This record gives sequence, structure tokens and C-alpha cells, in this order.
Amino acid sequence: MNASVTPLDFQRCLEACALGDRRALQALYDQEGARLLGVARRIVRDDATAEDIVHDAFIRIWTRAASFDPARGSARGWIYSITRHLALNAIRDSRRETVLDDADIDSSAALPAGGDDIDLWSGSAKIYRCLEQLQPTPQRCILHAYVDGCSHAEIAGLLGAPLGTVKAWIKRSLKALRECLE
Amino acid sequence: MKPDTAEALDTLAGEFVLGTLSPEQHAAMTERLSVDPSLRAAVDAWEERLLELTALAAPQPPSARLWGRIQRSLNELATPSKQQRTHWWQRLGLLQALSAAGLAASMLLAFALLTAPPATTQFVVVLVAPGNQAPGWVVQTSDSRMIELIPLGEDAVPEGMALQFWTKGEQWRAPVSLGLVKPGEPYRVPIQRLPPLEANQLFELTLEKSGGSPTGLPTGPVRFIGRAVKVI
Repeated sequence: MNASVTPLDFQRCLEACALGDRRALQALYDQEGARLLGVARRIVRDDATAEDIVHDAFIRIWTRAASFDPARGSARGWIYSITRHLALNAIRDSRRETVLDDADIDSSAALPAGGDDIDLWSGSAKIYRCLEQLQPTPQRCILHAYVDGCSHAEIAGLLGAPLGTVKAWIKRSLKALRECLE
Repeated sequence: MKPDTAEALDTLAGEFVLGTLSPEQHAAMTERLSVDPSLRAAVDAWEERLLELTALAAPQPPSARLWGRIQRSLNELATPSKQQRTHWWQRLGLLQALSAAGLAASMLLAFALLTAPPATTQFVVVLVAPGNQAPGWVVQTSDSRMIELIPLGEDAVPEGMALQFWTKGEQWRAPVSLGLVKPGEPYRVPIQRLPPLEANQLFELTLEKSGGSPTGLPTGPVRFIGRAVKVI
């Protein structure tokens, strides 16, 4: 299969993984490895940890491929969810150990600055059109949380907004997004 | 469910996917997801809705070492996982342990023989726990259309889990589900659709998520297992 010509059939790859075909796992890695590493890196903010996450994600994809249920969502989404949640768990665990201070928040580099990502958005998935309908600050709350793995407190620090306000923005934004996407 | 509650749950599901729940909320949510299909569906929907936002993270080429590392981990997995992946009906050790289940099983068999009408009972199976070989259930067939699973005690099943009843004849490719069983309650299954019972046919109860195995094959740990013995 030539991945550059034929779109990768993620579900078929998972089925093959479940049967023990390592080439299928490699096809997934070749296709998505860099993107998954980018997603993990953005959340854990450390290269070595991000590679650990992607390593663990591919082991989990391999060992749990048989449990993938296409009725519950796309195979590609399943792979990303596994990776994101491993990354989120990693920072959740480390947050428990170290009290977050302002320095941590300030050093949370590579946050999307204002309109930097707007180019990416044009003509893209519907979620972007719905995000654009949010006010800029609530929009940033959603992106800092989903893309950067920021906690409520970190977002409050970044935006200079009260914690309660950030929590309310996120709740309201989720509701608005759900309605927009329905 | 009241609408406001449904909406609150959906927001909780959204925050779970965003990653903004506190460690305590996250732990509670993870536990609840394994037993609450509607919450699980709400989380699945948010995963799909927000998936495209992953494109905002710039791809980062992995180091050349990473794939090799993954492969080494797979190799390490391969040896023990082959055993783990071996299905219960292929596990010789377990079957040998069954033969050794011995005295208690024989006594139960005798009990079953004495209490069931001998003229019609064709097969008896004593299901024992693989670990301590304690007998937990007896399967009886009183005719060719129905089998009866009788509990010998109360077996605790964790919250959100269920006992699923399976059988497999010696020549069958895979086990067949006979349905979900309530701990401590007798269970009757019509078996017209199955091939006739045969000696040595395997029966087992596995621990599955409530609702039963998602794959149609046993996925959880074996709680009780036994083989059919012809008694006439």
C-alpha cells in the first residue's frame, strides 16, 4: 500500500494489529507518528517524555487493537484519544507531585498566539468554524485546554482571568460548541 | 434523567476530553465510564468533535530510535503475551488443573447424580474456580433442549461487571456465549441451536463488563470452568 496515494485505512490497520500483523502497526506509525508526537509534545512540554508517551501509545494500540469498536468512533480518533489521554495522565500525575507555580505557567511555551493558527483553520473541519463563533478569550480557553493540556489554574494564569471565570467560560464554550456542531 | 442533569453530564464528558478535570474528578469519571454506557457515549462524541483540533499541534518527527524501541517492547511482550493471548480452551495447564479438581468435584457429581432423575440426565458439569479449584456451579442437562446452571454459593461480582456463560465443544473453532448469569441465581438456557452436547464439552463463566463481552468471545478472566461428563 502506498500511503501517499491511498489514504490509510485506519480501521483495517487496527484489525490487522489485532491479528498480530506488525506491518499494520508500522503503517500507523509511519503515517501518524510525527503528528502524534506533536500532540504529545505540546501537552507534556518535553521531548523525551513525549517520545515515552508515543511509545506507550503504540504499545497500547497494539495490545488493545482487538477492543477497538468502530461503533464508538473512528479508528483514527481512537489512536489520537489514546495518545492524548496518556499525555494528559502524565502531566496530571506530575502535577500531583509538584505544586504548580507561576514559573511553570510562564514556561508553558508554544501556546497558540492569537491568530497564528487561523491559517490552519480555513476550509477545515466544522469544529474550527464553530470555534470562530466563540469570543476570543473563551476560544483560547478551549485551545489551551485541549491542545496544550492546561489546567483551569494554568489557563487562568495565562489569561490573567479569575479561576471561576475560566471554569465558567469553558462550560459555556462546550455548550456552544455542542450546539453549533449538532 | 432531568435535562439539566444530562447537560451537566455532557459538560463533564467534554471536560474529561479537554483534560481540565481535577485528578479526583478524573479518577471518579474513569471509574464511572466503565459502567455507564451513556456517559461513555458522551465522551466518545466529544472525542470525535474535538479530534480535528489535534491538527493545531505541529508534527514533530520522532527520533530514529523510537520505532526500534517500540519494536523491542513488542518483542518483550510477545513471549508472555502469547501465553496471555492463549484462550482458556487452549490452555493445557488449566485443563490439567481441572482433571485434578478431584474429590470435591466428584462429590458434587455424586450429589447431582443422586438428586437429578437419573433416567433423563445426560450430562453433568462441575464448574470450578481455576485458582483454588473450589466448585462454584453445576451444569445439568435434563433433556436435549435445556441446560440448567445451578449456583453452589453466592459469588461476588464487582460493580459494573457481569458473569458470562460460555461453552465450546472439542471440535468447535471458538466458544459460544450462552448469556449473562446473575451470581447466586440458577440460569436456564435453551440449547436447540447448539450442536448436541458431547462428553468433554467445555463450559465456563468469565468476568466481563456488564452487558457482556464486546467481542463475542471471552475477554475477561475465567471465574469457573469445567467439562461435561456423561452420566448415563
